[in-house]
Amino acid sequence: MIGKDDALKVLEKVLSFSKGFEASVTLTASDLSLTRYYDNHIHQNLRRHNQTLTVRLVRGKSTGIASTNLLDDGSLRWAVQAARENMEVSGEEKDFPGLPKPEPIQEVNCYVPATANLKPKDRAEACAVVIDAAKSRGLQASGTYSSGVTELAVASSTGVRAYNAGTEAFFRTIIQDGDNTGYADRLTRDVREIDAGAVAEEALTKATLFPEAIDLPPGRYDTIFEEYALADLIRFLGMIAFGADAKQQGRSFMAARLGEKVMGDNVTIWDDGLDPASLAVPFDLEGMPKQKVVFIENGVAKGFVYDSKTAKKDGVKSTGHASAMRGGRSVPRPSNMFLKVGDSTRDEMLRSTKRGLLVTRFHYTHCPEPMNVVATGTTRDGTFLIEDGRIVARVKNLRFTESMVEAFSRVEAIAKTARITRDWWSTFNSVLPCVKIRDFSFTGSTMF
Amino acid sequence: MLTELNRILGLAQKLGAEYADARYVSITQEPVSVSTDGAPQISVSKSTGLGLRVLVDGAWGFAATPYLDPRSLEKTADEAVKIAYASALCKKGDGVFLEPLEPKRARWQTPCKVDPFSVKPEEKVEFLTDVVESAKKVPGVFRATASIMSYREEKEFMSTDGRQIEQTIVHSGGSVSVMARGEGDVQSRSFADYAGGGFEFVESLDLKAKAEALADEAVKLLKAPVCPTGITDVVMGGSMVALQIHESCGHPIELDRVVGQEATFAGTSFLTPEKKGSFRYGSQSVNIVADATAPGGLGSFGYDDEGVEAQCVDIVREGIFTDYLTSRELAPLFDQESNGTMRAVGWENIPLVRMTNINLEPGDWTVDEIIKDTKEGIFVDTPKSWSLDDKRLNFHFGQEIAYEIKDGSLGRMLKNPAHTGMTPDFWNSCDAVAGKDEWRIWGTPGCAKGEPVQVIHVGHGATPARFRKVKVGVEA
Repeated sequence: MIGKDDALKVLEKVLSFSKGFEASVTLTASDLSLTRYYDNHIHQNLRRHNQTLTVRLVRGKSTGIASTNLLDDGSLRWAVQAARENMEVSGEEKDFPGLPKPEPIQEVNCYVPATANLKPKDRAEACAVVIDAAKSRGLQASGTYSSGVTELAVASSTGVRAYNAGTEAFFRTIIQDGDNTGYADRLTRDVREIDAGAVAEEALTKATLFPEAIDLPPGRYDTIFEEYALADLIRFLGMIAFGADAKQQGRSFMAARLGEKVMGDNVTIWDDGLDPASLAVPFDLEGMPKQKVVFIENGVAKGFVYDSKTAKKDGVKSTGHASAMRGGRSVPRPSNMFLKVGDSTRDEMLRSTKRGLLVTRFHYTHCPEPMNVVATGTTRDGTFLIEDGRIVARVKNLRFTESMVEAFSRVEAIAKTARITRDWWSTFNSVLPCVKIRDFSFTGSTMF
Repeated sequence: MLTELNRILGLAQKLGAEYADARYVSITQEPVSVSTDGAPQISVSKSTGLGLRVLVDGAWGFAATPYLDPRSLEKTADEAVKIAYASALCKKGDGVFLEPLEPKRARWQTPCKVDPFSVKPEEKVEFLTDVVESAKKVPGVFRATASIMSYREEKEFMSTDGRQIEQTIVHSGGSVSVMARGEGDVQSRSFADYAGGGFEFVESLDLKAKAEALADEAVKLLKAPVCPTGITDVVMGGSMVALQIHESCGHPIELDRVVGQEATFAGTSFLTPEKKGSFRYGSQSVNIVADATAPGGLGSFGYDDEGVEAQCVDIVREGIFTDYLTSRELAPLFDQESNGTMRAVGWENIPLVRMTNINLEPGDWTVDEIIKDTKEGIFVDTPKSWSLDDKRLNFHFGQEIAYEIKDGSLGRMLKNPAHTGMTPDFWNSCDAVAGKDEWRIWGTPGCAKGEPVQVIHVGHGATPARFRKVKVGVEA
């Protein structure tokens, strides 16, 4: 870990090497430890430290970018010089808003020493809890236990100075009984909240429930989505529709529909990078403070997230959502999405289902038709048939293909509790409840 | 860096490692892009460091650092060994057995005519500006972007069993993407390709001519009817065949997936060990090799990150599945030798079984002959979306564009096409593969796998091909 003082010292040094120009410098650093296991033994186990310092030099409306992972003076000077050379030939960007000026940033405690200090032996012992639970039933366990610290520091010639260090631990497992699998995970800043025994129990229950999987024909089913599965559905809205760039280019279904009803009355989705229920980081890659942004309120399209460039174009302030640079350009993306809870429970949703499905999780989802946010993917790690209010069978995995805009217009019930959940792609960490959607479209099936 | 590598291997052995390998890697990348909605973007990045992999008591440990001073090397060796001891708390039987290798020193370099870093950024900007202008002049174009990727990886590898390998890997590529916007609709057309080689590859892509044709298609797509849902014959362009190979052949033949090492994230494979040598993966027309030696391939190299020589191996021969991609640890479990596919991204990651160039061998048709021979169907090209189940059986791919085929001729343009099916059924329905004149190795620079995720460069030799009775339609 670099630490606040040393990180800001490096950034000040880069700014001093950049005299005569406007400059913005970003330092991201990561200390990551990660243990993987399969077939009831550990097969990969690592620790790594890395950092990336990115300098953006500005003259008028011309910018140049360079980055390095080495922080000695020679490497920092190289980065400044390379950024300068790139700036000289990049030409003027007419929409360039200038580097943002500093804004007050709210303190959010993201650092838990117990997580930062977790040892390889601690991770191995937690993995052993799951492995032993699987072994005791003659089953196979596989999974991942990662822990570490991520630092983000931003400084600019306009006066921005921001630093945050956050810990994160992610423990997940799949327990396998032949082709039947069950999944569970826990994501937290505080490793002391991870109960390996509870993770094992959740996955074991799913893996062993109804051992004979049945074929179910594709069709429309009332479907209960556990939080893991919902994370993949809501991801598409975040990726495709909620960024101001998608609005400005007309790629978002909400682009011309702000203020209109686009989803069901019971759907409210927002982003809040300051809410500790999520893995909050209080500022973005431009050092701008995170603002709470409501995307959908009671089904009505309300807003988008902005970085400084898209904000200037719409005459608004950045909401603090400048995300990873693509080819030198930042893109505004949600960071911490929330779906408003309802008044139901998973058990009540089950009891109210005449014939339907329970989906634990999805695999490798994608979006073949972005304008209507048509998404597709297959279920995994526990898909079950519900009849007359009870789970009656394990179902072989199914493929869904469905417009997310339409699906979120048919939300029948929302649980009253939510938990932090990461989608399969690990794009977002969202705080989500379990939901039930009427007539969800499954278009294909597979053989296991 | 050989001194540092030697030093850290010695430290690891002193701390108890029975085997160790170390990689020093320095990667330089220079992406340049030009777009209609902003100034040219030029950036350059460097990433340098060392990764150490050790076996202690039959269990793996890995640690990586960007710093190469003696204290950092000591700390890294100590961390790797301690991690391995922790792994040994949950090991299987006697632990890992590695296929033995003879000591060897070697050097390999990507053949390259024009070093892509010798071409000045301003020349690249000028080149790309021409491409974007070519697209922009087509009425109705809303946005056009073109880019060039230049990549150089300097790598030094040393292992305690006496392998010492130096490699310089150079990759180049280019892309163009055009967007047209209509009433409540946005349609895109794009082209991208990457190769092992220099700037001569970028020049060979003729992006300027492609940009105009793509722009014309993007605008026309706005008014095209949606591809209907149904079952029909599908003729695929080369770039779509390349992705179909990647997802439905390349991933399921990774032996680490087969044994379950990637179960939690990327998934496993339907190609279970008893299928090797007898399973009918595809029709007689389907011949697939994994060729890490292919000239110009984005998945070509001299030695993998275990120090094993690059190889070309049969994967599917006349439709029968014959072999996996393997490693020094996994191959002996199946009485095989490694075929050299363990690769890591950068210095900070452990090597995994990765695709090289997974190539569908050319057939004896031309695409014109295939279309002429097709009574009814669609021609699809350029992947837009991809989704497969966690054993790689059920798939769904979307494409940017399709054309109807009626009585042997291309007809109407169709938008939002997609096809779905089951991998073996699909490849068994392949009855025509175009020949070597239309064959090329498509570079895929975004293959993701592992935790933490590693995004690696791979290649796919492909050519247009026909598949019978396929389910099509975006919501099929």
